[in-house]
Amino acid sequence: MSRQHRVLVVRCPGWPPPEQAPSRGRPVGRPVGQPVEAGLEPRAFEQVVTAVTEFCPRIEVLRPGICAFGARGPARYFGGETALASKVTETVERLGFECAVGIADGMFAALLASRDALTAGSVVVVPPPVQTFLAPRSVTVLGEPELAELLIRLGIRTLGEFAAIPASEAESRFGPEGLFAHRLASGGDPRPLAAGPQAVDMSVELEFDPPAESSEQVIFAAKSLAGQMHAKLAGSGLACVRVQVQLTCDDGQEITRLWRHDGFLTDLAVADRVRWQLDGWRGDHGDAGVAENTVAGGIALLRLVPDQLVQHRGRQLGLWGDEVISDRVARAAVRVQAMLGHDAVRHPVLTGGRGPAEQALLVPFGEERTPARPPDRPWPGQIPAPAPTTVYPTPLAAMVTDSGGTQVTVTGRGEVSADPAWLSVADGPSQAITAWTGPWPITERWWDPVSSCRKARFQLVTLDGSAWLAVVKDRRWLIEASYD
Amino acid sequence: MGAALAQVMPLVAERRDGPERRDELVGLLADGAVRSGRDISPGSGVLSDADLFPVLPALRELLPLRALQRGSVVAAGDWSMLCTALAAGPVASGAWCAAAGIAEFGVVAAADAGLDPARLLLVPELGPNWPQVVASLLDGCDLVLLRPPDRPSAQVRRRLEAAVRRYGAVLLVAGAWEGAQVRLRVTSQAWVGIGMGHGRLRGRRVRVVADGRGEWSRARARWLWLPGPDGTVAQADDPVTSDRLKVRYPEIGFSDIGFSGIGLSEIGLSEVSLSEVSLSEVSLSEVSLSEVSVGVG
Repeated sequence: MSRQHRVLVVRCPGWPPPEQAPSRGRPVGRPVGQPVEAGLEPRAFEQVVTAVTEFCPRIEVLRPGICAFGARGPARYFGGETALASKVTETVERLGFECAVGIADGMFAALLASRDALTAGSVVVVPPPVQTFLAPRSVTVLGEPELAELLIRLGIRTLGEFAAIPASEAESRFGPEGLFAHRLASGGDPRPLAAGPQAVDMSVELEFDPPAESSEQVIFAAKSLAGQMHAKLAGSGLACVRVQVQLTCDDGQEITRLWRHDGFLTDLAVADRVRWQLDGWRGDHGDAGVAENTVAGGIALLRLVPDQLVQHRGRQLGLWGDEVISDRVARAAVRVQAMLGHDAVRHPVLTGGRGPAEQALLVPFGEERTPARPPDRPWPGQIPAPAPTTVYPTPLAAMVTDSGGTQVTVTGRGEVSADPAWLSVADGPSQAITAWTGPWPITERWWDPVSSCRKARFQLVTLDGSAWLAVVKDRRWLIEASYD
Repeated sequence: MGAALAQVMPLVAERRDGPERRDELVGLLADGAVRSGRDISPGSGVLSDADLFPVLPALRELLPLRALQRGSVVAAGDWSMLCTALAAGPVASGAWCAAAGIAEFGVVAAADAGLDPARLLLVPELGPNWPQVVASLLDGCDLVLLRPPDRPSAQVRRRLEAAVRRYGAVLLVAGAWEGAQVRLRVTSQAWVGIGMGHGRLRGRRVRVVADGRGEWSRARARWLWLPGPDGTVAQADDPVTSDRLKVRYPEIGFSDIGFSGIGLSEIGLSEVSLSEVSLSEVSLSEVSLSEVSVGVG
């Protein structure tokens, strides 16, 4: 079991637990990541969090009413754990809230200690080893009623008894939940403390009055709203793993969806997600009478909630412009797309492949640029560097003849029938070939009868100094690319 | 013999065009100390007032101010690697490039030359209202590489030139453009590394001639590797050097050596018999010249 950290849990009984217990193991996230609950209560807890921040700047809010932080450092500063706990209680009670504090090794024990503290005085400090503290407790505290019932029927009543079972047994008999519970019972931590920095509401919202009828209006607003959100996050040096888009209709209906963000989405990309969400919702409803690009009933409120805040580490987005599409470029690209169609603007990305056309993927602007095949692997039969400057989207028909005017062919053994002497591209005039090399036979995807093909490539240089990449396939010559 | 070589090597004098500050700026840009992309936030080594885009070192001598100037139109002859090479420097320094009307744009070759596809937009088909599309692209991208689908009228040219100036962009034309500030063109080219049925394309030596308006009206030429064996763009030896040597040793095919692309400066003349070196040997095989050794006749 990994080394345990001293954790201090502040528990204020005034806040009810949320209706739905958060699933185990998954970081609970800060309250801003949860659906907005009615009433002021979750917000009121921010006062407590702010006050506790004076003891430690990095606080994790588990849910309204409970927050935690690493106790080791603050305890040293405030003269011991008991002194720290009393000071915290004092501070919170001065705000007018009831409060209990528990300190123990690991989050689970600290939570139990804080629960004890509610009844047995306001402070409970559990000295290590934590197993001594946990062992006599009932298995019901694991928060798994079904598992607890089963364990009790098996005669395992306490955490100590449960912890005595080998972990592998616990897993094979009780599944992943069992293993998780076993880890808790043994004094392991469910997860490391994920301390969020200052509890600041990072969400942004915009009301539409009158409600926005056209989705374009909403998307346009979403972009500037995303800009606000990103600025807010950047101001605190944060990024979000996911962003929650909440759209509230005029009739009170709410469309909420979480989108992966990872700190990499641009304003425009967030606006895109809003568009998709609106599109999807319209699709679901499939109102035949509703015209394209309109929202039935109108959107009254758009809210963007950054979820799972993390330290923004690594690249400073936008500073060097890498990968990050600036607004200005995106605007121009979208404008051209509006004129010529979505596929008219391509944002290329290098990908693995042999032929010149296979090595670059021309992704329509705005779509995800993921190489289909890794570019940095060896591709046997790849055309050698330097790469051709001109790659024809559809190869040009060509004719290569020997000095006698007969078409040059390649035998099954990869031998050329005669030296190529003349090249004619797309029925153009014949040009003398001054240098050539090949054939480079390629049998691609021989295992797949559909996409398998046999061909041989040549490089040809003509009298005017032009260099060509030619391919013979089924006795036909094609110009795939040129090196000009 | 080393002394003889030193005499014929042309002196590479530092150009001193324009005010001192600008020269320094170009140097800084070229060294990557400052960046001049439009959407780079100020601070952190960025000069927001820089109206120049650095180009690849090999191309500097071909451009006034040794860089591409915002608001200017540069005509680079027919679509070729010269266009890609001109765009590579600005893109490497943070600019965005849009290639308009070039459906057969070779992305891999561009990437090898230094043009990062991450900051490249391709608009292969421009449609009938192409000036409008190009104007939109000029608004968003610092650099637009355009092959006009048809010959632009004077009115269209004026309109796009105005857009170029307004947005502080650079219009790089693959084709002719009357009134371009700078014109570049490839006047001769030769591939090396490939023979009759053997070898393969390794590099291309080209002679690029540049001229333009004003003080740049006098044409100047440079030999470049476009591309070199690794796909990059580099300066190639000037065959003039070889020609001068040829005067001294008329029996030797020096220009052939230049053609082979092996720099004269890399050859210890005392070790090499140049009379033995023929075009086919040097250019078609990968013999390093230092390995060829017979005394000078």
